[in-house]
Amino acid sequence: MKITRGVAIAALLGIAACLTGCGTLGVKPWQRDLMAREDMRLDANGMDQALDEHLYFSKEASSGGRSFAGGGCGCN
Amino acid sequence: MQLKRPGAGLRAQLLAASCTLLGATAAHADDAIDPALVPTEPARSLDGALAYYHESDGRVTAIEPVISYRKSYGDDRALGLKLTFDSLSGGSPNGAIASTKAQTFATPSGKSLNAAPQTYTTASGQVISVAAPVYVVAPGQLPIDPNYHDQRLAASGSYELPLTRLVRTTLGGALSWEHDFVSTSLNGTIARDFNDKNTTLSAGVNGEFDVVKPIGGAPVPGSDYTLFEKTGNHSKHDANVVLGLTQVMTRRWLTSLSVSYDHLAGYLNDPYKIVSIVDAGGNVTGYLFEKRPETRDRRSAFLESRVALDHAMIAADGRYMTDDWGVRSQTLNLRLRLWDHDRDRYLEPSLRWYKQTAANFYAPWLLSSGPSYVEAASADSRLAPLHAFTVALKYAVKMDDGSVDDASEIAVRAQFYRQTQDHRTPGPGVLQTLDLYPGLKAVMLSVEYRTNL
Repeated sequence: MKITRGVAIAALLGIAACLTGCGTLGVKPWQRDLMAREDMRLDANGMDQALDEHLYFSKEASSGGRSFAGGGCGCN
Repeated sequence: MQLKRPGAGLRAQLLAASCTLLGATAAHADDAIDPALVPTEPARSLDGALAYYHESDGRVTAIEPVISYRKSYGDDRALGLKLTFDSLSGGSPNGAIASTKAQTFATPSGKSLNAAPQTYTTASGQVISVAAPVYVVAPGQLPIDPNYHDQRLAASGSYELPLTRLVRTTLGGALSWEHDFVSTSLNGTIARDFNDKNTTLSAGVNGEFDVVKPIGGAPVPGSDYTLFEKTGNHSKHDANVVLGLTQVMTRRWLTSLSVSYDHLAGYLNDPYKIVSIVDAGGNVTGYLFEKRPETRDRRSAFLESRVALDHAMIAADGRYMTDDWGVRSQTLNLRLRLWDHDRDRYLEPSLRWYKQTAANFYAPWLLSSGPSYVEAASADSRLAPLHAFTVALKYAVKMDDGSVDDASEIAVRAQFYRQTQDHRTPGPGVLQTLDLYPGLKAVMLSVEYRTNL
């Protein structure tokens, strides 16, 4: 339960901090040249990540985190 | 009298105006265009990969072709489809512990440990003898079912749809078929941008429903292995919620945080895993089918950062996960993409470190002198305390396909995975002479090609 509370509090603090403080972070629209690069997309390694997730799902007790945890696989 | 070619003034004025406009554009080219708002994504793209996975010591070998297709409609709507096929063969540990004596096990379809050949009489009176559905494991060897083979076909799709200028949603689903397992899932995510699109908050839900239909039937959890008490099919489901926050920190730094919770319920056992029962001398006296709790609650936090350098990209992520089975895990990933000067090829080394604690009910063996009833017990090494390393290297070449970022790419990747069990409790009696925790080594090779259509 401590962990549940901790994760929930961290999430709430993160969201609250972002909605208030994140306004000072970031860039102007014309400064997004590097963010527009293909390797800066969070899914830039999508195929590698999918293959890796399947391997780790079948060999370890943890899965997901980056996105949904379900495996759709009977291997674990 | 002033002689002047008709129209010369107009052309001059137009030329001047054009120069002014061009000059203005040239002077502010970096400032005037928001690349994030330019639809650089191709209308249609195809991404295909073929992976080969091989475990040492004659264990699992797998071939996995994957193909995915994406079509964007230019108005922030996009359709994604993906098809995956797995073919696995080789040997899979059955959970039993190594012994100083030979051990006989039934294949999943077997109903007896009798190793004598089975004879049948056909309608024409011919007597046919076939090998019994059992396998024998030599003394000192980790019990592995050598006849493991499986195929899986999985299909998934997603549809991205903008609701307003700042809010978008993604709806998706997946189907997966194996001869002993069927999985269906539906998911939806909604995301909203804030702070000039520097901040994105998202919330997603996923519901998965699985049918477990093991070969030979699903064993009664915790029952005596030699009694082959098996029932029909079972089911399990997984409800998952993920909250995400993505933040552009600086011109070069992007970070993302996700927290998730998922609740699993139903038949969560591995129907092919058993637990050895040993006496104080280390002699195996019997086996039980494993028995896991019928629910599992998992929570995780995932943090990722990407940093863009002029000719490199650094990505680092970490995950902390915990569940009510007692498993706590930490994962760290580091990926470095090194571009050549012309940005038409790159080398990408990566490292991963993973560590987990054991599930409360993990037991490599049960003592025959222990309680006759166990609430839960599993010898599945995936629930053991362990750590793992992955080292990978990828090499990719971009091809000139006429798109803004030359998205066509061919890549090869090789990775090595090593898993080692922690807290290697010595076995009782004669088992102390045996390696009870051999660990796992595996290699994966993959080739990927993606292109715009």
